[in-house]
Amino acid sequence: MLDSHYAEVPENQGALAPVEVPLDVKSEQLSLQDPRAVLSLLEADQVVAAKRRTHFGRKNLSIATRALLWALRVYVVAMLVIVLISVYQAIHAAH
Amino acid sequence: MDAPDKNPSLLAGQTAHPTTESAVASAAAPELIGLVTHEDVDRARDRWEVARARWAGRSKKFGGIRLLWLLVGPGVLVFLGENDAPSMLSYSADGSRYGVGFFIPFVVLTFIMGFIVQEMTVRLGAVTHRGHAELIFDRFGKFWGFFAMGDLIFGNFLTLVTEFIGVRAGLGFFGVRPSIAVGGALVIVVAAITTGRYWTWERITLSLAIFNGLFIPAAILARPDWHAVGHAMLTWMPFPGGSRYEILLLILATIGATVTPWMLFFQQSAVVDKGMQPRDINAGRFDTLLGALLASVFAIAAILATVPLFHHGINAANFQAAQFAEALEPLIGHTGAALFALGIFEAGIVAAIAISTSSAYAFGEVMQTGHSLNRPLREAWPFYLTLFGSACAAAALVLIPHFPLEFVVLTVNVIAVLAMPPALAFLLLLVNDPEVMGEHVNGFWANVAGVIVTVLLIIAGLGFGFATVFPRLLGG
Repeated sequence: MLDSHYAEVPENQGALAPVEVPLDVKSEQLSLQDPRAVLSLLEADQVVAAKRRTHFGRKNLSIATRALLWALRVYVVAMLVIVLISVYQAIHAAH
Repeated sequence: MDAPDKNPSLLAGQTAHPTTESAVASAAAPELIGLVTHEDVDRARDRWEVARARWAGRSKKFGGIRLLWLLVGPGVLVFLGENDAPSMLSYSADGSRYGVGFFIPFVVLTFIMGFIVQEMTVRLGAVTHRGHAELIFDRFGKFWGFFAMGDLIFGNFLTLVTEFIGVRAGLGFFGVRPSIAVGGALVIVVAAITTGRYWTWERITLSLAIFNGLFIPAAILARPDWHAVGHAMLTWMPFPGGSRYEILLLILATIGATVTPWMLFFQQSAVVDKGMQPRDINAGRFDTLLGALLASVFAIAAILATVPLFHHGINAANFQAAQFAEALEPLIGHTGAALFALGIFEAGIVAAIAISTSSAYAFGEVMQTGHSLNRPLREAWPFYLTLFGSACAAAALVLIPHFPLEFVVLTVNVIAVLAMPPALAFLLLLVNDPEVMGEHVNGFWANVAGVIVTVLLIIAGLGFGFATVFPRLLGG
């Protein structure tokens, strides 16, 4: 699903070039010493070097999405304070 | 298909496992130089086995079983890993405080919630080949990424501490000294990660995780009333009585025993490390469903194993693992109690491996360093150092005299639930992102289910908050 993003990275073309090495799945033996055999078994965006060079771009967050993320952040912080209060109460009661 | 084209000039001077460096240094195959790493080779080998199994599955009667065997792993591991020491203690608290009733079907509901969200991580990992932390940083930027990482690392570390508390307490039943119990657990964690191969690590951890089933014989020795169990499953009754605040706390801890942020990060990264591809998504769903089923059965077994404490009116309000086992001994026998203690030990070990791996995956993804169990130590030492370092730090804390272990155990599952809604928001935004997911974007019902789970978690958290601030409202 990375096609559009790969297209933005010219130096990555080598990694994305389809590597066609016919592999016989009926064979018991497989030699992975040939890098082309390795690349033919993996999807283009599964190769470590390709992943290093490419990244998904930033998503444009709508105001509603930003508001949701901020609300959830405030929720977590407020709840953590409440957890501290409850733990303090529990330990205080135990002692 | 034909055999691979083996050009002798390509093979000369190359090792069976080319590292990044050796691949770069090699004169062979100039158009591929620098691309193939040790990690790629190992992953390709796994894909080769999958391709062969898929081919055999078409022509042999039970050929599909081998394919499932190869692709099962992250889902079973994540759910059995989440059946960790504090989770099993939460289930034990449910059984010992309230007997057979509401909590048995409730546990099944929490695992359904767990399956809904974990299935989304399978799709994300198989389609993007990226870990959860990496995707959050890529799509939402560093600001939100570090918030998500903060929640994860804080929660993971607290949970890791409780795993070693479980290890210490579980072996404490057999008279093993804390330093030996915790040190031995660290040796197991290291042994699992030093294989340099995801596949081997996964199989070692799976073989340890299956011992979570020790709670089943412990439950059978407790002679549960199966009629009452069936009645509870159908009616959700009897509903627990007593302090509503305590019930709410246990409900929250029980949810936190099944649905936590580290599970999202871990399963997605494990799916990527395993090399799963979009065509494997159905197998990944089966894997996740199998994990949820096994874990829910083992969780119910933990509840049933401790129900005798409820019938004998034994107050288990502040019990830890060893105390549960000791209290159970006169009621279900030494064997049952020993199985219970071993189960807690196992739960701690497997979770320690899975959670420290989850932290290391996330750290590696964010720092953009090697983050695969297929990488040798010299290529991904920051990854392994994070993994081992977090386990060591958690283990060391457990051995500090007078360290407030009680504080950590009390809070860990509750914090997991409270940190979950933001993690689910990121997850839902990612699986609904067509640029990321393409044709595998969430469907309508998956979104409905995901939103329901998120809202339920928020309501549970807010209920806990109100009950803490205004205890008289709930009679607490």
